[in-house]
Amino acid sequence: MSGPALEIDFTLPLARFVLRVRVQLPPGVTAVMGPSGAGKTSLLEALAGLRRRARGRIVVGDDVLLDDARGVSLPPERRRVGYVPQDAGLFPHLSVLDNVRFGSRSDAKAVDAALDTLEIRPLLPRRPRSLSGGERQRVALARALATRPQVLLLDEPLAALDPGLRERILPWLLRVRDEWALPCVYVTHNVGEALAAASHLVLLREGTVEAEGDPRSLLSAATVVAEAEAGIENLVPGRVVAHDPGAGVTRVRTDAQLDVSVPLVVSRTVGAAVTLAIRAEDVLVCASPVEGLSARNVYTARVESLERTGPDVTLRCRLEVGGSELLARVTPAAVDALSLRVGAPVWLAVKSHSVRLL
Amino acid sequence: MSLDDLGVVLFTLEMAGLATAAILVPGVASALLLARYRGPGKGALETILSLPLVLPPTAVGLALLEVLGRDRPLGSWLASAGVEVVFTWKAVVLATAVMSFPLLVRSARTAFEEVDPRLVGIARTLGAGPAAAFWRVTLPLAWRGVLAGVVLAFSRALGEFGATIMVAGNIPGRTQTLSLAIFHDVQTGRDGRAVALAGVTVALAFCALWTTEWIVRRRSGEDAP
Repeated sequence: MSGPALEIDFTLPLARFVLRVRVQLPPGVTAVMGPSGAGKTSLLEALAGLRRRARGRIVVGDDVLLDDARGVSLPPERRRVGYVPQDAGLFPHLSVLDNVRFGSRSDAKAVDAALDTLEIRPLLPRRPRSLSGGERQRVALARALATRPQVLLLDEPLAALDPGLRERILPWLLRVRDEWALPCVYVTHNVGEALAAASHLVLLREGTVEAEGDPRSLLSAATVVAEAEAGIENLVPGRVVAHDPGAGVTRVRTDAQLDVSVPLVVSRTVGAAVTLAIRAEDVLVCASPVEGLSARNVYTARVESLERTGPDVTLRCRLEVGGSELLARVTPAAVDALSLRVGAPVWLAVKSHSVRLL
Repeated sequence: MSLDDLGVVLFTLEMAGLATAAILVPGVASALLLARYRGPGKGALETILSLPLVLPPTAVGLALLEVLGRDRPLGSWLASAGVEVVFTWKAVVLATAVMSFPLLVRSARTAFEEVDPRLVGIARTLGAGPAAAFWRVTLPLAWRGVLAGVVLAFSRALGEFGATIMVAGNIPGRTQTLSLAIFHDVQTGRDGRAVALAGVTVALAFCALWTTEWIVRRRSGEDAP
C-alpha cells in the first residue's frame, strides 16, 4: 500500500475540551500516548464510529468512513474496524467461541486463523468472567480479527501493566502485526511497548496532537514522563538466537552484538526481532571482575557519566562489546563505596529474570 | 368451585394475558427509550409513563371513559365503525393494560440500564446493526428484568379493579373478572364465594411469581463459571 493507511482530520467536543486530531498514519502500528484524559479512548471511539458528534474526515485505505462535508458518516457496523476496548468488552452471556464468531462478517476461516494467532483454543467453552485480564484481551483481539477488519483499534488498559508477560497484550499484538499486516492504532501508557511495536507515534495532550512521528526520536523527549511512571528502562533491540530448554533460557543477540540470556520464551521464534527491557535499578554494578555470580549476563563496561536522578544516581555505562550503552541506577552510598567516577571500569550484571522480552 | 367460578377464573386469565400481550412491545420499547434516551423531555415522558402507578385507578378509568365514551369523539367514531369498547371485554383489557404498563416499563428499564451501552457499541463495530445488537446483546443481557416486568404486569392485571369497574362495569359473564366478582359477592352477601375466589387469586399470583423466580434462578446457575 502506498500513501497513508489512515487519514484522520476531525473534531469532537468532549466535556473538558474539544478533541482535534489531524494526522496521517502510515501502514503498521501507530502508538497513541498521552496523559490520562487526553482523549485517547475518544479518538479510538470516533474512528470506530461510536461518537456521533465527530465532525470532519476519516479515511481508511480507500474507504471514506466519515466526511460530513459530503454527508458521509458510516455507522459502526459498516466501518470494518476491529475495536478492542480497555476492558476487552466481551459479551458476558456468550462463551469465548461465541464471542469470537459474533461478528457478522466473520467466516470459519477467519475465526480459525484468529484463534490460532492468539492461542485461545483451550479457552473456547469458557465464559468471559472466568478469564484473566490478559486472556480477555486476547479473546477480544481475536473477536476483532475474525471480522477481517481494515484497521485495528486497541486500547491498552492501565491494569495490563502487570508483570506476567502472558498477561500483556503486546506480544500478541506483535504477532498480529507480523501475521495479519493490518494497520493498527494502539493506545498505550508504556514507552517500552510503544518502542517495541510501533513505527509511528502520536502524542496527545488535552485533545490536541502534541507531536507525531518516529517513536525513537519522539520518545527521547517524552522519557521524562516514562521515568516518572515506570522508572528508567534500558530498551535494547535484538533478535532471538536460540532456545535452550535444558538451561531454561532463550538467547538473544542485540543489534550491538551483545549476548543476553532471558528466561525461556518459546513463543518467540528463532530469528524474531525483539526488544529487551531492563530496568536501570536491576543492573548490578561491581567495581571488580565478578566470578561465581548467579547472574547469567555480565558485561565489562566503563562509566561515561553520573547523573543525579531523584534520590538515586544514574550511571551511563559504555559496554566493551559492541559499544552500546546501558543505564544503571544506584544509590549515592554505592557511588562512594565503589569509588565510581567517569572513566572507571565497571562490571555490570543482569539476572535473566530481570530482562523482559517485549 | 362451580363451573361459573371456573369461567370467571379463565376469563380473568384471558384478560390479563391479552393485556400483557398488548403492552409487551410498546412497554419494552418505552423501557429501552427511557434507558437510552438522553435528550430534552425525558423527565416529562418518564412522569407520564409512571402516572398510572400513583393515580387512583378510578381516576384512570374515568379518563378512559372520557376518551372512549360513546358521546366522545373517539368513542363515537369507534362506535360508528362497529367497535364497542366501553362495558365490553375490550374495556377490561384496555383498563388492565393501562394500569400494568408502568410496572413492565419500570422493571424492563432498570434491566436495560444495567446493560453496558459500550457492549452495544462493540456489537455494532463487529457488524451488527441496531436491531441485531438489540436481539443479540441488549435483550439477552436484560431478559431477566424484562421477564420479571412481564410477570409483574400480568400479576397486576389479574387483580386490576378500579379502572376496570369504571370503563367495563361489573357485568357477570361479560366483564366480570376475579377481583370484580369478589367485590360483587361481598356486596351481595356471598362471603364464602368471595373468600374462595380470593384464594384463587393468591394461588395464581403465587404461581406466576414463583415460576419467574425459578426460571431466573435456573438460568443464573448455568451462567456460573
